[in-house]
Amino acid sequence: MADQARTRPVPGVPPADALEEVPLIDVDGALERLWSVLTSMRLALVLILVLAALALAGTILVQAPPGVAADPEARAEWLNQVRPKYGGWTGVFDALGLFAVFESIWFRLVAAALTASTLACSIRRLPGIVMTATRPHVDVAEAFFEHAPHREAVILREGPTAARQRVEATLRGHRYRIIAGSDGATLYADRFRWVPLAGLVGHLALVVIVVGALVGATFGFRDPDFVIAEGSTAAVPGTPGLSVELVSFRDSYYANTGAPSDYASELVLYRDGAEVARQTVRVNDPLRYDGTSFYQSFYGPAASVRVADEAGTLLFAGGVPLAWSMNEGNRRVGTFTIPERDLTVWVVGTGGPSDLVVRPGQMRVEVYRNDGSATPVDAVSLDPNKPAVIEGLSFTFDRELQFSGLSIARDPGTPIVWLGCTLLFFGFVIRFTVPHRRIWIRISRQGGHSRVAFASVGRGDVSLGAEYARLIEEVGRGPAATDIARGRAATRA
Amino acid sequence: MYKLSEYAFVAGGLSAILALITSVAYAASGLRAARLQTSPAAMTGRTIGFSAGPRTASIGLYATLLAWLAAAALTASLVFRTFATGHGPFANMYEFSVAFAWGILVAYLWFERRYHQRLLALVALPVAIALMAYATTIPSTIEPLVPALQNNLLLTVHVAVAIVAYGSFTVAFAAAILYLVQPEGGRWGLPKPGVLDEIGYRSIVVGFPFLTLTIVLGAVWADIAWGRYWSWDPKETASFVTWLIYGAYLHARVVRGWRGTWAAALLLLGFAATLFTYFGNLFFGGLHSYAGLG
Repeated sequence: MADQARTRPVPGVPPADALEEVPLIDVDGALERLWSVLTSMRLALVLILVLAALALAGTILVQAPPGVAADPEARAEWLNQVRPKYGGWTGVFDALGLFAVFESIWFRLVAAALTASTLACSIRRLPGIVMTATRPHVDVAEAFFEHAPHREAVILREGPTAARQRVEATLRGHRYRIIAGSDGATLYADRFRWVPLAGLVGHLALVVIVVGALVGATFGFRDPDFVIAEGSTAAVPGTPGLSVELVSFRDSYYANTGAPSDYASELVLYRDGAEVARQTVRVNDPLRYDGTSFYQSFYGPAASVRVADEAGTLLFAGGVPLAWSMNEGNRRVGTFTIPERDLTVWVVGTGGPSDLVVRPGQMRVEVYRNDGSATPVDAVSLDPNKPAVIEGLSFTFDRELQFSGLSIARDPGTPIVWLGCTLLFFGFVIRFTVPHRRIWIRISRQGGHSRVAFASVGRGDVSLGAEYARLIEEVGRGPAATDIARGRAATRA
Repeated sequence: MYKLSEYAFVAGGLSAILALITSVAYAASGLRAARLQTSPAAMTGRTIGFSAGPRTASIGLYATLLAWLAAAALTASLVFRTFATGHGPFANMYEFSVAFAWGILVAYLWFERRYHQRLLALVALPVAIALMAYATTIPSTIEPLVPALQNNLLLTVHVAVAIVAYGSFTVAFAAAILYLVQPEGGRWGLPKPGVLDEIGYRSIVVGFPFLTLTIVLGAVWADIAWGRYWSWDPKETASFVTWLIYGAYLHARVVRGWRGTWAAALLLLGFAATLFTYFGNLFFGGLHSYAGLG
């Protein structure tokens, strides 16, 4: 919206003020008022600042993890965690939604209002921009040549007709379009007349980005915490028919600092059992297949476990990711179920060298009945390849594996967002770097010579001022001209 | 290479300090010229403008040369560091601070050349020097990159673009400060408010698209590395806040009642947001936390 109020100034009046609050399209009553509110740049300005304040709150205050706000129990627990930090303000911030700013009604309202305002402003400006480009205001009052932000006049030692030809030739040489005024003495010249549209495109790009975000939120799918152990195959959540296998996982570390240098998952994708994609996925190298992307996110230990019944039939065999941490003893845990016996098994890794219950190299299985009971039926710490019998089932811990934590996402809004970003960037760059050049020229007879007055709009733009100065100099170069009135171009200020 | 980078950094810092001292001397000599102008002895029709007066000009020239020297030394420091590390000099707080100082010097010199306003140095150079001083307090050792940063192209471009934006914003900040400290009418030989307003605007016109590009490239990288283009990570949110404030500024300049002082105030606010974004990862954690110290 910046500066676009200036696209069609009333010459002689400071242009930006002139059109600021004038609606170009007439709508009735309330609608008209709504329209004038929406298209008010003052409102847009306030909305931008309010949005900035809300977003700032979102960076300064700790934000609750996703899902916490909707679950009253988790929310109360989370609030108790942050209460020491914010004291009496905790309740106030929570009531205002400031712990989940970006999901709050305030943020959404302001963002929606700003989007509507952007859209309305763009619609309002469009006719003016088209008008300025196609049917510009050519005939201007004499006063314009005395008050315009850029103005200058030269005397040429030749008659008005020759002077006019000279001016036109010079401007054409610089690729200006020239339109003659009805009085025969005024010329209008402009260049890059469609550039103001770039500013409009830059603004509409914001609406495009918002649309992309909404499309993603509505039709997209995301599982940031998908875990899979080496050697396992699992259905890809949210994508029927697709399954993923983690063939192997590798991690390496810098010798001197111990910081991770690389971690990578070799993934194979199957659609209805047939392999469709295979890639080693790294942090900066996701696997993308048919709109679904697999990102390397985190990793940890897993246990290869087998469970067989009395007859030796395998009820479970595979890697169990130890994806959670237990506060007690610093142990990592994972879980799987045995539906045939209505049992849930927790697999507990060692807490380290000082752990006497689950010694290093061991893996503990705790077997629970699915009846809500909090005490296990039995629990045994297993050494590798030494089965133990619990509830008549034989549990074997084969060896330790690794699991990979993947972020799986399908976001159909992303291409729309990239389109919006591209339009946004190039729209603004063009708008800011290629100003619409507009010059009004009036040629009058002065004795045997002619006086050529130039005037232009656009406050204090140095490069523009310099370009006009060059043009005028070029006009005057032929028949030794005299400058008689220099404008207050910013270059000389 | 590492040693050379350190030497060049020290040379850059010293040059910047000398440039600042010279600029202050230049400003002071300008003040005297301005006073002369109002004293009866000088009221003889010969105007002594701020940029006029042979002595003032020569001091100013030294100030500019020293600033160029500082920029050249920092450029060398960053280039040597790039050779030493094998990636763009933007991977930790030390490298980023030096680069930020470099961005300020370059943006300042660019605008100084274009608008002939040396006094912007009075604000811009202290900011650059403060960043260099800050850089000396944090370890400059070269650490290998964690996997998330192992994207040489995006690391280099994303941050290099941010440096240009931040440098421009510092010039805008300088212009806004000089604009706001001037009493109505009285100028102490400072640049005219109209010129400062124009410089502030032009530097945002440069910086804003670069900040936009920084955020967009950040989103592209986030989509590759984190699996989503936007996750309201504190640092990306802070840069969004900065973007909004400068966006507000661009609108404020064409809204009646917001021009001048209020627009300049928005430039201060925007620069505060820039610094918040810059130093943010020191206290708000988040996905950018690896860009921290060490």
